[in-house]
Amino acid sequence: MAHVVTPLDQPSNYKDSQSRVDRQRQNELLSKSTTLYIGNLSFYTTEEQIYELFSKCANPEDGGGIKRIIMGLDRNTRTPCGFCFVEYYTHAEALASMKYVSGTKLDERIIRCDLDSGYKEGRQFGRGKSGGQVRDEHRQDYDPGRGGWGAQAQRLEAERRREVEERYADVQDGPGAVAGGGGDWREVEGSGHDGRKRGRSPDDEGDNTRTLNQGHRTRLDEDMEAERM
Amino acid sequence: MSYNERRGGYRRRHRDDYDDRRREAFETPEDKLKTSIIKLGEVDPMEELPRLQKQIQEFAPVNVALLSEVTEQPYKIPYYAALVQLLHEPPTDAEEAGARPSLGRLVLEDFWKGFQTYLDKLEWRETRLCIQFFAHLTVAEIVSPDSMVSLLQAFTAVLDGFNVSHKRAKRAVLCAAEGLMISGAHLKLYSSRSVSEIINAVQIFSETTTIPKWLVRPTSSLHTDAVTIENGDEMIDTILQTLQTLNDTGFAQVAESFPQPYLAFAKPDDLTPFNLPLVLVPPETDIELDGVANNTEEAAQIKKDEWPEYYLRLFDDEVSPNPNTPAGYAVRSALLDIISVFDVNRKECARLLLEYPKWNLPGAFKPKPGAPADVEPALDKYWQLESTILELILGMLLILPESPQRSIYYISLITELCKLSPSTVGPAVGKSIRKLYAALSEGLDVEAARRFSEWFSIHMSNFGFQWVWKEWVPDLALAMQHPKRAFMRRAVEFEIRLSYYDRILKTLPEPMQSPETLTIAEKAPGPYFEYEDAANPYHEAAQGVLNLFRGRAKAEDVIGQLQSLRTTLEASEERPVNVDATANSIVIQSLLHIGSRSFSHLLNAIERYLPLLRQVADSSNLLSAAEAKAGVLTSVGVFWQHNPHMVGIVFDKLMQYQIVDPNDVVGWTFTHGVGLGLGSSASLNTFEWGLVRGALDKANGRVLIARRKITALRKEEDDTRARAKARANESMEVDADAKPEDDAAVDNPALTTTLKALDSLTSEQKSGLSRTLEGFVACITQNPYARTVITEQAWHNRANWDDVEWTAWETWGWYRQFCRAYSPYLREFSQALYTVSFSKLETSTDPTDELLKKIWSAATDST
Repeated sequence: MAHVVTPLDQPSNYKDSQSRVDRQRQNELLSKSTTLYIGNLSFYTTEEQIYELFSKCANPEDGGGIKRIIMGLDRNTRTPCGFCFVEYYTHAEALASMKYVSGTKLDERIIRCDLDSGYKEGRQFGRGKSGGQVRDEHRQDYDPGRGGWGAQAQRLEAERRREVEERYADVQDGPGAVAGGGGDWREVEGSGHDGRKRGRSPDDEGDNTRTLNQGHRTRLDEDMEAERM
Repeated sequence: MSYNERRGGYRRRHRDDYDDRRREAFETPEDKLKTSIIKLGEVDPMEELPRLQKQIQEFAPVNVALLSEVTEQPYKIPYYAALVQLLHEPPTDAEEAGARPSLGRLVLEDFWKGFQTYLDKLEWRETRLCIQFFAHLTVAEIVSPDSMVSLLQAFTAVLDGFNVSHKRAKRAVLCAAEGLMISGAHLKLYSSRSVSEIINAVQIFSETTTIPKWLVRPTSSLHTDAVTIENGDEMIDTILQTLQTLNDTGFAQVAESFPQPYLAFAKPDDLTPFNLPLVLVPPETDIELDGVANNTEEAAQIKKDEWPEYYLRLFDDEVSPNPNTPAGYAVRSALLDIISVFDVNRKECARLLLEYPKWNLPGAFKPKPGAPADVEPALDKYWQLESTILELILGMLLILPESPQRSIYYISLITELCKLSPSTVGPAVGKSIRKLYAALSEGLDVEAARRFSEWFSIHMSNFGFQWVWKEWVPDLALAMQHPKRAFMRRAVEFEIRLSYYDRILKTLPEPMQSPETLTIAEKAPGPYFEYEDAANPYHEAAQGVLNLFRGRAKAEDVIGQLQSLRTTLEASEERPVNVDATANSIVIQSLLHIGSRSFSHLLNAIERYLPLLRQVADSSNLLSAAEAKAGVLTSVGVFWQHNPHMVGIVFDKLMQYQIVDPNDVVGWTFTHGVGLGLGSSASLNTFEWGLVRGALDKANGRVLIARRKITALRKEEDDTRARAKARANESMEVDADAKPEDDAAVDNPALTTTLKALDSLTSEQKSGLSRTLEGFVACITQNPYARTVITEQAWHNRANWDDVEWTAWETWGWYRQFCRAYSPYLREFSQALYTVSFSKLETSTDPTDELLKKIWSAATDST
């Protein structure tokens, strides 16, 4: 097919600048990837809206479905900053989103999808100087969906904004802060099995130390931001 | 990389990110020629053909590969046929012309090899497109008519095969019929009898097919098995009618149906026609035999696509072509091919669809506004291109039990068409929506109606939610469960899911905004925490649990709290009927409350408290495990009662984390779920069907994953064994006593575990299907209206139906969808499932019971 038209389910040239893997390994990961990076979201778009649209590409009968959604957050304010990751259970579902959803509208903005090599700790935060995405750091235009809004919409948007700001107030970072989404089906074993599952509690001091380090590193590297848009 | 592009130091570090895509592409003469061939006809094919012929002959390549041009640009097939014809002419300056075969002949021989490969792999679409190409070449007298007849007969021979699947027969018919349509006139000259035989074979197939067409009609009336519908056509019927029309008139209409550019050029002199070699359509081995070979897995693949294809007609023959006519069939078939070939790039597909008239005969479609109308209408009127395209895409979208490709493809394709040409496609979309909306009260199938609302909402989401709802305001007078009102409700709900409540509320006219009309909810679909209210007797208890969650208490601590809660409730004045059930409900609802902020919060809450959830979903003193699980689902249903979307999402994850089984969800939906949607008891509405479907798909998906794993493990094992054997053979020379079989006897623990898992997953799958069937049978036999809505008289009186009749009718619809969509799975267990659900109805002659049984056997009889 490729010689008549370009298929839409190809990964772009993007590479996570903070990723330590080389190009070849990256391509290998992408050829099996079940994760999508979604860009140009409105700050107000919720995970449920994203779920609704992306579930159109889910194929549970084939063992698929939406595994998890990781909302991209402003590093400082912990509010959505206009991107997210959608992870499916199968590669075919990710490709279907590339073909059929990327370039269509969600919440009245044209969103873009890109195959992603997989979510890594810390990638849910914006890498711009002020905490959001770099593209919003230097953006000149007026974009009501991404931080500035017109007077006529203000009343309505302010209400949504309040909800949004509260929503993620409790988000933590560090390992285990983002749920896995549940694994494949397996035989339920005896109760002794539960001990292996690591519960989280405020006693997990280790996490907090790690978090600080992680945050520090992110700030140092913020100029390395890989801008997608 | 072009170095002058570099700006500043920043980019330099990222050189790796920019591949060599900016490098100037150097085109070899071969590349140039290839490009010319691919791009043939982009401006004016008739002018370009002789030029391309000259270009090729001047370059004098050894060969020219046309195979992928034919299969990937099917709309150009007649022009590539013309090119092959032209290449049969000896080059003007060739001296040794006649000494060796012409280039055209070489091209054709090479093409044939490619065709044979497609056929061997049973790539039906490619095979069929190649046959179209040969058919055109037959008309051009490049291919001999006798060999063409034999080729087509090879495909009708498939129909005589033993136990041939409908899918295979359908595809074979398409190959033979389309080849015949194009080349019929020439074949008839050669052997009129053979032509009639081919048509007869199609007719016999159409008449004797055991597949019950009535089960997949897009408009369903329960009282009749009629297979012809007013506003649509079944594909094989369409083909047959077209062929008969053509045959009756000596294929005279071919010239006004299919482009025949080759006829404009002079035929090469004294040419011996090419004889297509004899072929045999290979049997379908891979799929059917797979399951037999590994008898533990039954059929490894689920056989789908076993149904006749009905395409809904939305417009009159004046507006869009009637597919039962030769010209109409040609257009439909060409557009269908473009849609299915170009799914990899919907934007290009949209462009090609809108450019289609240039590949068809001039004068078929109404010229674009502003374009010079210098062509007279070919068939005394013009068709409207956009309406034709829309009708066809929607026709595919609404094929039952499922569309050939995912519905989102068709939806996005329509979006692209609108973006490309808003002023012409927009009105066609509007007209289509109105036609489909009107079909809702004429019995549009419930599944088709669901997909219609899905398309509507996603389309509106892409175009500013601009719909003129006002024109449907009068329909608010209809019964609340009337399909039109159900559609409005569902469309609004789906729009809200993609957007948000206030945004959608704004788009509705005043009468619809009013909560009394039940079109949109009174407020945004938020959570409902039963124990939030301080007046609730368990408010305090719930606050205690909630505080533990808020403080991120360990799961064990909450389990402890759950135990003490049960004790406290037992002793309290407000002692509930079932202490355990109430305590569980408090815990689950509090957990959902914590998880209500977002999907991720939900996942985090579930994952953090898995031991607690398992405890709650397990049996206790007062509850069986099944009751406890149903209780969990009920808590979810109560908590998200204003937001059905969330109910589905939470159920899905509870199944994923194995807190509940798909089976529990099915059972719950048929018993407890009633009343949460807007349906009444002993019925199933679209939302509830969605829950059932989610559970069935989950169970089926798990079986599929397990089967795949087994196949992979077996393959791995075979490889290991083969390697071991090879090694043993090597060492045999030293030690003749080594027994390689020993390796085979070693157990593969991973395989054993997976086989065991498959066993339990398969029985889970079976019980899910069984509970669904039992649920439907119970609903329908217990609902007094289920028996009244199935008569012809009742159907004609539907204007007077009330909610109870419409919900009963809808329940029948989902029962039909269940049987036909899951028929491949149902067939695996049909005997056992029948016994459970139908044994007591076995001898009943009650019309309701008869219809239940009839639909069941129509879907599961695999003969």
